[in-house]
Order: sequence, then C-alpha cells, then structure tokens
Amino acid sequence: MLVNNILTNYIIEYMEEFYSTRYLKRIGKLSHTSNIFTCLPILDGQKILEVNILSESGKTETIRTIDEINEKIRKGDAVVLTAEEMIRLVESSGVDVAAKEVDVVTSGTFGAMCSSGVFLNFGHSDPPIKMTQCWLNDVPVYKGIAAVDGYLGATVLSETLGFEYGGGHVIEDLVSGKEIQLRAESYGTDCYPRRHIETTITIDDLNQAMLLNPRNCYQRYDAATNSTDRVLYTYMGTLLPNYGNITFSGAGQLNPLCKDPNYETLGIGTRIFLGGGIGYIIGEGTQHNPITGFGTLMVKGDLKQMSSRFLRGSSFYRYGVSLYVGVGIPIPILNEKIASTTAVKDENIFVSVKDYGIPSRPDLRPSVKKVSYADLRSGKVEIKGKGVPSSSLSSYKMAVEISEVLKKWIQDGRFLLTAPVEKLPKQSVVKPLEIRKKEPKVSEIMRTNVITANPDDDVKEIAKKLVEKGIDHLPVVDGARKLEGIVTSWDLARALASDKKRLEEIMTKKVITVFQNESIDVVARKMAKHNISGVPVVDKENHVIGIVTTDDISKKLVGGRTTI
Amino acid sequence: MIVRLTYSPEVVEKPVLAEVILKTGVPINILEAKVNAQKGELVVSIPAKGKTLEQILGFFKEAGVITQKFTQILQIDFNKCTSCGACISPCPTRALRFSLDWTLEFDEEKCVACRTCVNACPVKAIAVP
Repeated sequence: MLVNNILTNYIIEYMEEFYSTRYLKRIGKLSHTSNIFTCLPILDGQKILEVNILSESGKTETIRTIDEINEKIRKGDAVVLTAEEMIRLVESSGVDVAAKEVDVVTSGTFGAMCSSGVFLNFGHSDPPIKMTQCWLNDVPVYKGIAAVDGYLGATVLSETLGFEYGGGHVIEDLVSGKEIQLRAESYGTDCYPRRHIETTITIDDLNQAMLLNPRNCYQRYDAATNSTDRVLYTYMGTLLPNYGNITFSGAGQLNPLCKDPNYETLGIGTRIFLGGGIGYIIGEGTQHNPITGFGTLMVKGDLKQMSSRFLRGSSFYRYGVSLYVGVGIPIPILNEKIASTTAVKDENIFVSVKDYGIPSRPDLRPSVKKVSYADLRSGKVEIKGKGVPSSSLSSYKMAVEISEVLKKWIQDGRFLLTAPVEKLPKQSVVKPLEIRKKEPKVSEIMRTNVITANPDDDVKEIAKKLVEKGIDHLPVVDGARKLEGIVTSWDLARALASDKKRLEEIMTKKVITVFQNESIDVVARKMAKHNISGVPVVDKENHVIGIVTTDDISKKLVGGRTTI
Repeated sequence: MIVRLTYSPEVVEKPVLAEVILKTGVPINILEAKVNAQKGELVVSIPAKGKTLEQILGFFKEAGVITQKFTQILQIDFNKCTSCGACISPCPTRALRFSLDWTLEFDEEKCVACRTCVNACPVKAIAVP
C-alpha cells in the first residue's frame, strides 16, 4: 500500500504539472510494471469522464543529444532497436542498462487513416485551363485552390464505382506508377480560355505530388462491438450482432505516440518514415487530444518517393473508402525516462470497447469494457460472460516491418534524426459540434393517443378497428403497455385471407422502435432502411408512449422545417 | 471435411441425414441449411477422413443426394493481403486466424464459403471463385 501511495502522489504531482488541477478529480485504478506505471484517473470538466494517461518514472538527466546520435549514425555506430526489441531488452536487462546501450528505438503503424490526401500540381496545358472541377479516374479532386493545383482526399468516392474505388485507391495507383484518367472543367477566362480537358497522367507527369495528411497515427483507438440484433457495417469493419465480435485498430506497443507519450521528442520537423518514403511531422493532427491520451499527428512527405506497399487504397463494405498509411517514427533515447516509455507494452495501453449499436457521436457511445491492446490481440475478450472474438483492422505485421525498415535506414546511415522545432502540444481539448438550430425531435411529432391491441385479440375485430380509426399500424402490447409486436393493415389483409384468428399468430414480433428524444432525421433514415412506414415510440422499459408514421413526418415537416 | 448436400424434390422430404448419422454414428454438423418443399441445400461438416468419409458420401449418393466437397473455397491473394485482421473476428467458423508472426492463416477445413470475409476485406484480397 505504501508503494502505491507514493506512486499515486507522484502521479498526482506529475499530472497537476501537465494537465492542470481543474481536470483532475481523483485517481482511479493504478498498476505498475517495472519502471512503468499506468493510471486510470477519472477526470471531470470538459466532459472527459474516463481517461487513461501513461506515466513513467525514470531519470530525466540527458544521456545523449540528437547531434551525438547523428554523429554515431554517420559513423555506423548507432545502436538501433525496434520497439519490440526494446521491450525485450528492458525486460531482460532493466531500463537503466537499456537507456545506456540504446541510441534509437524505431516504432511503426499501418492502418486505415481517413484524414489523408495528396496535393497535386498538374502543370499547365496549352491553351491553359483554370480547373474548377477535376476528376482523377472519376474521383473528384478538390479544386478550391489555384488553376492547376488540387487536393485529392482519401475518402472521396468514385462517381462511377462508388464504394469500390475512391481517393485512397487513386493515391495507391499513382504511387504504383499507373496511368490515371484526368478530366477537368472550367468556365473559361481571358487568361485561361480552355473550358474542358481530358488526358491521362502518371505520377511522373506531375510537378508535385505531396502527401499531406491532417490526422494520422492515432496514439490509440477505442475498439468496437455491436449490441444490436443486426450486422453493422462501419468504419471499424463488420460488427456481428449481439456482441458477435470486437474490432480494433492501432499498433499498441509499436505505435509512435505510445512510445513517446509525453511528446518529448516529437513535434514540427521530426523526420519520419511515411508511406515507404521520408516524411515529416508538421504539427499536431486534427482532434489531437493529449489530455485523454489520444494524440494525433499531421504529416507530409513526397509521394514520388513512396511505395504502394505502405500506401493502400481500401474499401470498408457499405461504409466507404480510405487509405492505409504506413508511419514509422524514430525515438531518440535522450534519457532514462524516454527509454522507459519506449518499452511500454500492449498490456499497459488501454482503450474502451464501444458499442457501435448506439448511433451516437463517438464519445457518447456506451463503453462496454476497458481492455488493453494485449487483451484485444489475444483474439478473445469477455463481454457479459461470453468469450467474444476480437481482431484488428490495422496490420501489426506491417507495423513490425515498418519499424524494421526504419531501423535499417538508420543503421545504413541513410536516415538522420531531427529535433523538433516545436514540440506537440500537451494540452488541447476536443469539443463536440453543438447543434444550435432547433431540430425536430420525435416527441414533437409523435401521436400519443396510440390505439393498441392485445396478443389475444381477434383478427377480424382488429381489422374493423383499423378501418374505423383510419390507421395502418397497430402496436400489440401486454397488460402493462409493454410492446410485444406490431400489426399493419397489410398483415391483417393477409391474415383474413389465410383464415388466422388470433393477433399473436400474425403480428411481427421483432419491432423497429424509436425513442422520443431521437431526431426526425434519424428516424426517417431508420424507416427507409427497414422499408417500413410507421414505428412505435417506446420508453427505456419498452412501454409504448407514441407512434410516428411517414405520413406524420411528411405532413408536419415541410422543406426540413417544422411547422408546429 | 465440409460438404454441400443438394436434395432434389424427390428426396427432399426423406430424413437422409438422420439415417446416415444413425447408420454410421458420425456426428455430422449442419453449418447452413436452405430447405423448402422443392429443394434442399445443406452445408455440413463431417468429422471423418479417408474411407469413413468416402463411405458416408456413398450413403448420401445412394439416397439420391448430390454431394460436393468444399476444396479451394477461398482464394486469398497474399500479394494484396496486408494481414490486417479485418476478416478474422467476423468469420463465423473461425477459419481465419493469425499465425505466430501475425500473418493471416486460413483453415480450409473450417470454411463454409459464407463470403463474410470477402466483404470484410478492405483491400479485396479474398475471393470465392
């Protein structure tokens, strides 16, 4: 207990220094292995409820400088280990020995990174064109910049092939040296008279092809599962019903930001492995969230040097397209503290398993469980007493390969380390998008005087009731108004034709329902998806409190605005 | 061995599978079943090899059921595959897994050709011919 108290005090001091006291309410679970300890503080304020910050001990006196490391690299004397090798060395010899022996630890990650894209300069045709719209292999290129500059984002879909092909695939095809169809339109000006152009290009024809990714390399990422009774197709892959599987992303113990979670060596100007070529960190990525340990990077590099082995276009079934990006970052072992963080293991890196069955914004999706990357990588995680298969979406094998390639570059003297001009920020907060315009909710348009039936009711009587009241949907409830099923006028017509007597025999038992605080927009999408024209509104205990039909939506909402 | 059993209208109402199980004592497991009055199609896993397997298949053939062994069900293009793992946890029969060095491995014996992995693969490396 004494040891724990000392550690707790240390962490509180440490965290107060970096994360300011107003976030810190109390320390949660605490664990430590060798010189590395992890804590799960519960933070409040800024709506951050659960946080997992990696802390570490170790001395901060400088052992070596980046210049000294580079000198050794030039001479071919630098000791370079991959993150996996560093973990083994610290385990066998201790962090003090590892810190003395090792100059650089290489990290790596290879996963789908949607916030990626490439700036292109096509060069001028004769007569020239000020391209206002542009397509590469039918994939739209952003043209809100100069005449023949464009930005091709990884997630844009092809206008002809949809989910099968998109920006990420064009980037892979460019890198592979394939011929790409270029098409562009314009309104024509005195200086740029051409209004249409159609040609083919390869990467060699482009003046510049600059991979510039606003958000790459997430430090870690929450895993995904699905509580509903249907298959979900998400950016986290295929999620089977009833917690049928768990998917996760991230390289864990190989991830660059997990290897330097205090951002002591990372920042603007850090030279990195990017897509098989050389790139640079150009700042923190969008949604950079260091307080919760979800840091991100913005990176750039020359696409012409890169390789399609480390840049892969991808399609997520019924979701969209993306780009798998390979990133590897060398961490200079400047002191013992950095040595200890480069040896952090999957067992000490935690994420939540989020329920993607609840269609809320990411931070509001319920967390089903807290797990480590080691748990996730074991292939099975227990949820509600059941062993649920888990598997990654990012490639650990490729992450290892990237850390090995980068190690080789450094050992061969082809890659020198850089000190950041400015380190990554340690305090920034990710805010949600508030909806300020009033949005119609189910409660505003639902009918509350719902006509219901009981499972034992006679089919003919109910058919009569439907005709009298002029309605099409009849929720079937038990004595306590709990929803048991639904019948529609169509079900009744069929029942009468087949001579069935009791409502229970013909009702649909698996009913699509909505809650009263859901937005009409979401409900309309639900109805269209299931091809139904009415849904009962239920409370949390499944009591029927109203009903919404497509008629209600179309009558009460005109042009997207509520008239009530 | 995974086998597809196709029942014609003439035999679809006969309890052929139950008879074969009773006769041989081999616990044949049904993995997929599509049966109606006209036609039946079952995908079954027969835990037997060599002569026993051939004998079991023989019983089905005698009863008028067409048998088709699943071989080369999935084609995985390992030049395209990045061993990301997106196909592994969605696989209902655990036919896909990682080897010790995190390379994707495929166990043909377990595959029922449900195509879940074909859709789950982000780089279109898996096909069912």
